[in-house]
Amino acid sequence: MAKHTGRGIAAIEYPTGMNQNGDPSQCWIKVKPDGRIDVFAGTADIGNGSKTIQSQIVAETIGVPYDWITYDNSNTDSSPVCTGTFASRATFVAGKAAEKAALQVKQKILEIAGKELEIDPTDLEIVDGEVVAKGAPQTKLSVGDVAAAATWGHGELITGTGAQLKPYAAIIDPETGEVDLPPHSAISYAACSAEVEVDDETGEVRVVRLQQCYDVGRAMNPTLVEGQIEGGAMMGLGLGVLENCYPYYPSVEHRGGAFGSYLAPGMEDMPQIDTIMIENPSADGPYGAKGIGEMANNPQPPAIAAAVHDAIGVWITELPITPERVLRALEAKTEPRREGKKVVFDGELSVNAVSKGGITFEVPA
Amino acid sequence: MKVVGARIPRYDGVAHVTGRTTYVDDVSVPGTLWAKALRSPHHHAGITTLDTSKAEAMPGVRGVITWKDVPLLEYGHLSALGIPADEPLLAKDEVRYRGQPIALVAAESEELAAEAVDAIEVGFEERPALFDVREAFDSDAPKVHQWGNWYPHFEGEMDRRQIRKGDIERAFDEADTIVQGVYRPAAIEHAPIETQVCQVVPEANGRLTIYSCTQALYFSLGVVAAHLQVPLNRLKIVGGTTGGGFGGKVDTATETMACLLVLKANRPVKWRWTREEEFLCSSTRAPWHMELATAMTKDGWILGQKMLTLHDAGAYARFSPYGLTKHSFHHTGAYSIPNLHFDGYVVFTNRTPTTAMRGFGVTSVSFAVETHLSRVAKELGLDPIEIRMRNANRIGDTSPNGVAYTDPSTIDTLQAIADAIGHELPADYRTMTNEPRAGELLPEHLVAQVGSTEGH
Amino acid sequence: MNLTVNGITHGVDGRELATLLDVLREDIGVTGPKAGCHQGGCGACTVLVDGEPRRSCLLPAGYADGTEITTVEGLGTPEKLAPIQQAFVHHYAAQCGFCTSGMMLAAHAYIDRGGTDDHDAIQQALGGHVCRCTGYSKIIDAVAAAARGDSFDLTTTAVGKYTTMATGGGE
Repeated sequence: MAKHTGRGIAAIEYPTGMNQNGDPSQCWIKVKPDGRIDVFAGTADIGNGSKTIQSQIVAETIGVPYDWITYDNSNTDSSPVCTGTFASRATFVAGKAAEKAALQVKQKILEIAGKELEIDPTDLEIVDGEVVAKGAPQTKLSVGDVAAAATWGHGELITGTGAQLKPYAAIIDPETGEVDLPPHSAISYAACSAEVEVDDETGEVRVVRLQQCYDVGRAMNPTLVEGQIEGGAMMGLGLGVLENCYPYYPSVEHRGGAFGSYLAPGMEDMPQIDTIMIENPSADGPYGAKGIGEMANNPQPPAIAAAVHDAIGVWITELPITPERVLRALEAKTEPRREGKKVVFDGELSVNAVSKGGITFEVPA
Repeated sequence: MKVVGARIPRYDGVAHVTGRTTYVDDVSVPGTLWAKALRSPHHHAGITTLDTSKAEAMPGVRGVITWKDVPLLEYGHLSALGIPADEPLLAKDEVRYRGQPIALVAAESEELAAEAVDAIEVGFEERPALFDVREAFDSDAPKVHQWGNWYPHFEGEMDRRQIRKGDIERAFDEADTIVQGVYRPAAIEHAPIETQVCQVVPEANGRLTIYSCTQALYFSLGVVAAHLQVPLNRLKIVGGTTGGGFGGKVDTATETMACLLVLKANRPVKWRWTREEEFLCSSTRAPWHMELATAMTKDGWILGQKMLTLHDAGAYARFSPYGLTKHSFHHTGAYSIPNLHFDGYVVFTNRTPTTAMRGFGVTSVSFAVETHLSRVAKELGLDPIEIRMRNANRIGDTSPNGVAYTDPSTIDTLQAIADAIGHELPADYRTMTNEPRAGELLPEHLVAQVGSTEGH
Repeated sequence: MNLTVNGITHGVDGRELATLLDVLREDIGVTGPKAGCHQGGCGACTVLVDGEPRRSCLLPAGYADGTEITTVEGLGTPEKLAPIQQAFVHHYAAQCGFCTSGMMLAAHAYIDRGGTDDHDAIQQALGGHVCRCTGYSKIIDAVAAAARGDSFDLTTTAVGKYTTMATGGGE
């Protein structure tokens, strides 16, 4: 009766944007007479922070302070199309639409400032809310004054629109799965080490530490990225050792209908989570960003499964790795079937053992 | 000035910590009715009778809807992508999972609505139910669906998603070792702290304002408009602030039915699922059944991979065909494997329909491929980090469907993890990069893998 | 019955058996406490009743007759945030925000009772509050910082305790 420690490794990749693309996001921006910026987009904020990220992108792209931005995603009357907040697409796809809209606004501000200052707009730039002549920083006009001039003097509304859409990547050969275009907006990568402690008496697996490295493309807001990575890690821990709608799957009985009967990870389950961020920018995401929200719960379950094997010498490949499964596996100590150069694990779980021939899994040798 | 890259506080951070963020349940509209659903108590049954007259006659009940009230009964989120809809908004003559909605009541209070649900007379004829995806293909298996037990509408009229690459027979023939395993991640609840909820208000101009917790305002707008058969500008979705969403709130689970009740009662309607409904009736992450066989050389090259995936979709397709396709595109994980044979099926069972959840389609692959590779490393006596770095996608390597990778980082992320855990890598692994393969890292079997990154 | 909510006394009749949560939200119009489960299982509805954290979805409103109730609205205002609110902003302890008010009130009571920045003690005090977004690390960091009496720069957010930026990233 003892506690055993183990470590497991996993490396994963995950696409940004809807698989096969074809998922538009749009944005439009208007500028108030004092230069404050109103951004309209249809991207729901599910806690991921899309309101924050898109506001940052617009502020950075135009060249105004962050707190000049109002962000409105509140309804489908004022906001243009956004396919939605899923498929790790909010920062990349919707963010790109915001960047494009902001570039138009910037251009318009420079044009009107050019008229006011009688300087070619290409010789102007916007720095921290002021339009400044390149190389002559004493010649400047605040963005607020430009917006006022547009409104009261030129009779113009400063606006910008942006849309991001990668064309749908069709499967041109259903036999091979070949596609005619890249089916993703970007791909991101991560690696994870899980340390566990397994109690061979109770069967309990405790995840002690998760060390993770993500290629985030560009950390648009490192704190928000950490939030995705840490929150995802806890969800991955749940997948690995706690959560199950159907505790006796495939049976549908004993489904938990309350937090008291469904094991969502709680504070008591927390491991130490170490985050390493690498920035390998995407070619065409806003400021090089990649989407990492969803993949954040993918590397932990396999790293935990490998760590459990490292600790107690049994492979448990049905999730979650519950105390019951640990104890049963320790008791059974099932060895793989070895036939020639084949090593066959989990034979009892295979369709070959359960189906009456309706479906088989044949492996050449 | 640097805004991008800065650790700026959340745009709505102060609103969150002062309790001022408005979620759907915080919207209060005078005269609002409460909705409650009659749900199937059976996993699989025919509906023999359905009589709502007693419920409708109860004092305080302002409207009851059944399938007869839905202008377009079947519409799916993926209809726009040519994936045929299979799920009625409200069950018509058959229920295929416990918890499936059959009728919806609007009444003056939540309690009255619940009493009226109990007063609906409904008769069932129980039918055999299917729960094990591995039995779905047998001739004596219970039939879940009019389409059969698996989804038949992939491109080319195929009943499965296929990937074929290289010469799988040769890879297994040339292998030193073949490792086989079965991987089965579980169904998971999304369990956001805010349950599914909507509030629909009839406006003076005939429009409907839908306060929604959807993760996808325009997706949901399209779905509601299609079921109601109205133009998009008849509806206004108010939302954008969601009390947690992990995929399940892409489902548009409440909005359409609440709109139909509003049209019937001409009063505002609120439908807030109880936590028990959220757990027992809302869609889950799918359970998956994956069988993997890899053809390995003794020094740790993956020559080929054969895979069978059964995606337990539950009773209806919803996003599952999309999820399985994504799964197939990523079924090699972070590795370049030249010879592939993948068959995947979306299998129907009599459980709650599954839907997208964080990592959709790929969480399963990551578990299967990575656990399997750990097993392979152990079996071959190789280092688990080195075997991953050796086979990792490089710039220019091609994906299962022939697309060249442009900016992979598996090698960097693994080097960082090796450093973090104090795992000493050999010199050639310490200096390894993502650049296209050459020399020892371009064995003969990978030569044909290198594609063109131009135009991507 | 009389319920004093954030210093204002409300007379509410005939709702003694309703849950305190429903009375706060529906009768008094204080919507900070959230209905996450109505089962006492998530903690999103937590309010302070005479300073003690209580799950208002399980508490008959009549039980709170004559007590002082504090909700998130009573902690501080946007112009004058309470320390725990500042800590939650600076440490990015709220993502979707739905569990936040219950979480902060439990934390506020913990610190009021003399709670320290000890990780395990905070875990104990906030145990049973479910957050599905953050993974809890930043919540614990926020509570610890408030317990220590840190002062908070609200123009920026804290770097994660175990974070390494391999390249760039605005440190």
